[in-house]
Amino acid sequence: MSTLSEAVGPAEPKDAPPRGLWRQGLIVFCENRLALVGLCLFVLLAGVCFLGPLVYQTDQVHTDLTAVHLAPGEQGHPLGTDGVGYDQLGRLMLGGQTSIIVGLAAGILATIVGTLLGAIAGFVGGWVDAAVMRVVDAMMSIPSLFLFMLLAAIVTPSVPMLILIIGAFAWLGPARLVRGEALTLRSREYVQAMRGMGGTGGRAVRRHIIPNAIGTVIVNATFQVADAILYVAYLSFLGLGVPPPAANWGGMLSDGLADTYSGHWWLLYPPGIAIILIVLAFNFIGDGLRDAFEVRLRRR
Amino acid sequence: MARYLITRLGQALIVVVLVTVIAFLILHLLPGGAARATLGKEATLEQLAAFNHEMGYDRPLIQQYGMYVQRLLQGDLGYSYQLNQSVLEAIEQRLPKTMVLSLLSTLLAVVLAIPLGVLQAVRRNRWPDYAITALSLLAYATPIFFLGLMMIIVFSQVWPILPPEAPQGFTVAEVLADPAGLVLPTATLAIVTIAVYARYVRSSMIDNLNENYVRTARSKGLSERRVVLRHTLRNGLFPVITLLGMYLPALFSGALVVESLFNFPGMGQLFWQAALKRDFPILLGVTVIISIATVVGALIADLLYATVDPRVRLRGSAT
Amino acid sequence: MSESIGPTIRHASSAGSRPLLELRDLDTDIALRRGTVHALDGVSLEVAPGQTLGIVGESGSGKTMTALSIMGLLPSGGRVAGGQILFEGRDLRSLPPDEVRRIRGVRMGMVFQDPLTSLNPTMRIGAQVAEPLRVHERVGRAEARERAVEILRRVGMPRPERIVDSYPHELSGGMRQRVAIAMALVCSPSLLIADEPTTALDVTTQRQILELIDDLREEFGMAVILVTHDLGVIAGRADRVAVMYAGRVVETAATEQLFQAPRHRYTEALMRALPESAIRDSGGHDRLVSIPGLPPDLSGPLTGCRFAARCSFVSDDCRTTDPSLTPGAHQHACLHPVPTPAVAVTGPVPAQVEPAAVPAQVQPAAVQPAAKPATTAPAEVAELPVLSVRNLVKNYPVHGRGLLRRTAGQVSAVADVSFEVRPGETFGLVGESGCGKSTVGRLSVGLERPSAGQIVLDGTDLTDLTGRERRRMHRQVQLMFQDSYAAMNPRMRVDAILAEPLEIQKVGDNSERQARIATLLDQVGLSRRALERYPHEFSGGQLQRIGLARSLALHPRLIVGDEPVSALDVSIQAQVLNLMRDLQHELGLAYIFISHDLSVVDYMADRIGVMYLGKLVEIGPAREVVRAARHPYTQALVDAVPSITPDRAATRDGTTIRGELPSALDPPTGCRFRTRCPRAADICTTEPPLVGGLHQVACHLPLRPEPTGTPTPVQALG
Repeated sequence: MSTLSEAVGPAEPKDAPPRGLWRQGLIVFCENRLALVGLCLFVLLAGVCFLGPLVYQTDQVHTDLTAVHLAPGEQGHPLGTDGVGYDQLGRLMLGGQTSIIVGLAAGILATIVGTLLGAIAGFVGGWVDAAVMRVVDAMMSIPSLFLFMLLAAIVTPSVPMLILIIGAFAWLGPARLVRGEALTLRSREYVQAMRGMGGTGGRAVRRHIIPNAIGTVIVNATFQVADAILYVAYLSFLGLGVPPPAANWGGMLSDGLADTYSGHWWLLYPPGIAIILIVLAFNFIGDGLRDAFEVRLRRR
Repeated sequence: MARYLITRLGQALIVVVLVTVIAFLILHLLPGGAARATLGKEATLEQLAAFNHEMGYDRPLIQQYGMYVQRLLQGDLGYSYQLNQSVLEAIEQRLPKTMVLSLLSTLLAVVLAIPLGVLQAVRRNRWPDYAITALSLLAYATPIFFLGLMMIIVFSQVWPILPPEAPQGFTVAEVLADPAGLVLPTATLAIVTIAVYARYVRSSMIDNLNENYVRTARSKGLSERRVVLRHTLRNGLFPVITLLGMYLPALFSGALVVESLFNFPGMGQLFWQAALKRDFPILLGVTVIISIATVVGALIADLLYATVDPRVRLRGSAT
Repeated sequence: MSESIGPTIRHASSAGSRPLLELRDLDTDIALRRGTVHALDGVSLEVAPGQTLGIVGESGSGKTMTALSIMGLLPSGGRVAGGQILFEGRDLRSLPPDEVRRIRGVRMGMVFQDPLTSLNPTMRIGAQVAEPLRVHERVGRAEARERAVEILRRVGMPRPERIVDSYPHELSGGMRQRVAIAMALVCSPSLLIADEPTTALDVTTQRQILELIDDLREEFGMAVILVTHDLGVIAGRADRVAVMYAGRVVETAATEQLFQAPRHRYTEALMRALPESAIRDSGGHDRLVSIPGLPPDLSGPLTGCRFAARCSFVSDDCRTTDPSLTPGAHQHACLHPVPTPAVAVTGPVPAQVEPAAVPAQVQPAAVQPAAKPATTAPAEVAELPVLSVRNLVKNYPVHGRGLLRRTAGQVSAVADVSFEVRPGETFGLVGESGCGKSTVGRLSVGLERPSAGQIVLDGTDLTDLTGRERRRMHRQVQLMFQDSYAAMNPRMRVDAILAEPLEIQKVGDNSERQARIATLLDQVGLSRRALERYPHEFSGGQLQRIGLARSLALHPRLIVGDEPVSALDVSIQAQVLNLMRDLQHELGLAYIFISHDLSVVDYMADRIGVMYLGKLVEIGPAREVVRAARHPYTQALVDAVPSITPDRAATRDGTTIRGELPSALDPPTGCRFRTRCPRAADICTTEPPLVGGLHQVACHLPLRPEPTGTPTPVQALG
């Protein structure tokens, strides 16, 4: 980034025409190769899961006990079949839909709830802040998987229920983050300058705090999504996931565990690798976004 | 220092009280309430009513919470009809074993993560850094049970040198008597922890290596080794102590999965089995106890930090 | 130690001794994400044993990079790409790393700019100071400690036996800088490099530290390289001076010669850009000679003289010919040097600094504003003040630090301060850090509410008003920040930043606002193209202009500038100060100009108030406060200000204050300055009132009586 050359007369900037911050951010994001890889991976996986079934149609409702544990390639099943005869590739697509939907929805829900509560705590301050943060402390000291399992044991998990359960307790992280951000931003000199002009608290929030905090929130949201996908996998592994015939990668992976010893590797590795890839993708995207949002603040 | 101690203890106490409130509320959110949860699905309405009256569940919530806390203070966490055992007893048997697993893996993680993180910071943006970062990310993105399974496949099937199952001993001594069985569960739990710690040590060390005092140290003509070991390491590692406390919830969550996978009879496995059987007294008891363990652990970490870092140390005593 | 004498010794210094350190054609590159910055390009310098070399330049000139190259402490990505660093005759670049490290640790010492971050926070002072001994001389623990105590005592550390066991955060900035010096000197080096050693310190502390370095140089017989942006710091201290610009040495000469007769046009312009030059030359408020534009970008290829683009004497040659340093004792690299004055350079001849022929050409664009009428007090008193501050008090409750939030007491930030600002006037507020001057500024613009006292704006007492009314009133008073970058939302474009005050106060419709913004840009001399850009795309001086434009948006009558030029380089500072003065004349603005820099305040202000520890200790016409100070503290401040004027630089034995600033948590009773005052007496335990006519002082034993003949003001303050 160069500095405007300002002479005595009218300035003649020698550099390129001004670019919006979003475009600058986009450029930086694209410069981060891993972030691009992450984005492509996500698009690819999501595309296969959501569009794939249109091209590659399989029956994922009725079991076919005549075609159980077929190895990849046998009888036109590129990835074989599982213990009840579902086509593994088709199942991966279906399971991916659930994993991605639950991950995205829960991550976004957690981010929204957390952002709101954190922002309220940070802006209002005083005892509201103290109360909210103590509750956050308390809930954070309960290991999340214990909490999720407790709730999953109470209600029978369905896809919306899983989203609610994870979303309802994963907001703690974003809440803490946003509160901290709100506290720092509130004391920034540009907010003070605005107050010096006679601006109100509402304007500070609208024009200054939210636009500056939004980057942190979005970056965090991508990590929330990655975590939510893992939580779904854990709940499935622990037997509290979505019951069949619905599928998700975590559930397929834990089902696959049982098949390890019988040599049905195609039931284990594909869902395992799929989970790793999608979690990595969101982590890469998050890192790239962090760079992209930070660069806007970088001075020269 | 004393004042700091008191404040910090007060905070921890508030958190513990809130944890009990949350557990209590969840108990009352259960369909059919605590009675159904305790007596199971087969209980008749009369039985439920009698139980509710006996336990005081027909009284106002506040009063009930008072009784709940009172019982808690007496060590009464309820009774599991499914295990036919008091919850406290069940936990007493399992908790030490979970502690063994957690401590061992934390120890392993700290011992490995610090040199790795330091190496990354010193060789920043060169291949050791990239390699470790890549492995850390991979470890972080892998579901821990999948990771554990890979370990089992590699170390007990392909190359059978370790048992695929954790020691089944009843006491801690018996568990420790079978070190080979402990290797895989401990290592599995440690790998994810290493990834998290190493990343943290790396960034903390990089922050410190960029500090002005490091330049001052170099200006004294010190060797790079001395600059890192004598000056940066200490400052870079202080925050890791706090991380030890902050990471406890995640560690216990990990232990839950690892114990279930390796069939290790700890708190996690107890909780898992209780969850499958909807054994709510156990579920709530374990939740409360594990949360208290988290709070106490974080408290110890904070106090440790306050005693070793001169800046915090002084701040406490000066005012 | 150094038997192998270097190959040849060029340009032996005038003393005839072999140079201790010689840089030959040093090139240093810094690799950044985008391209390489050629931070140093062919730098040649030398320092003789026992000599002080001053390296002076603005930010980006390469002065610090020179120091870091010598010490081998370049930031990551930096490397010495060419040339030689001959230390005691041996080229450090060709020696094995271990040997270089030893030399660095034993034969050289370095003191850095920021004492607050330059010490290891978790290591005891004694261990840090003694570390070079332990490492390089293998001294035992007990002896190392003893020698640490000894060296700490020599740098003037009180109670060194106790300090060795302390941690850095227990000491003040000045004390930490003493520790840093002790650490650099513990192995008795032959070369001390001090990189802006006093920039982060208050002037009175700065003076103590500079004197300490001087004394130690004589005592240890070592050479010193003093790197600074402040010409005044160099003037009285260095034997030789090297002026750097854009990675090159552009002029080097004996100090006296350089300051009396600079040859390079950049050096000349730099000296004339100092406020003190304007005051000295004209005795009044003439425009400063500013240097237009910005230094060149060092990452691209550069042809010709690097100063050409900003030089008023530029010719076509300058843009194509790369000038090299002339040989001799006074070297310069300028194709059109300042002519050597005919008058012999003996004795202090301040007026000679600036040859007579120049002024007409220097600032052709600058329309000389009509000389400001001298402060004709009676006329102005009749006018209603814009702002009148009466018995202002601000206390901050202090919470125990860290996690303890209990109230531990009160910091008395502002204690019973009264002053007024008349229309069109500049009121300067000076004092060292922690004196409460910024708090007074923040209270005046309504960013904070006073604990007690009145703030009367145009006859209305703001403390009586409700929030909304107060905000409306505050259109009259606007704040200008020290760091305009921090004071602007980084995600807002300049047009939005400038429109914000108008939107908040609901002034005009959209097109009117756009028109107003365009006018504002014109007023501060920025092009319309700035509107579409973001704050990070501007330089410090430009940001200060935008900040000023924003303060002007609501047509205020008073602008409170809180250190508005403190972060800027001298040449840029002159641009901004000129702009502020022009706008004042044009718009009839009043300023409260808050600064720690007495020379800037002296130049800008009509009247000056001096604050110490929350109290206004002296207030009066600027000329008088600076040249005939009545309060001992003011005098100490005046004496401590580094100056390039030879006679002022020579007499540095005025009032010196010792010791440390007392805590504002528990300020001394009576006169707050008495604990450090050289004249303190018993009577000082009672609080002195601020008394006098136009030149008031709060001192029982003022240095001089108020000049007779000054009329008593109509209304007595306080």
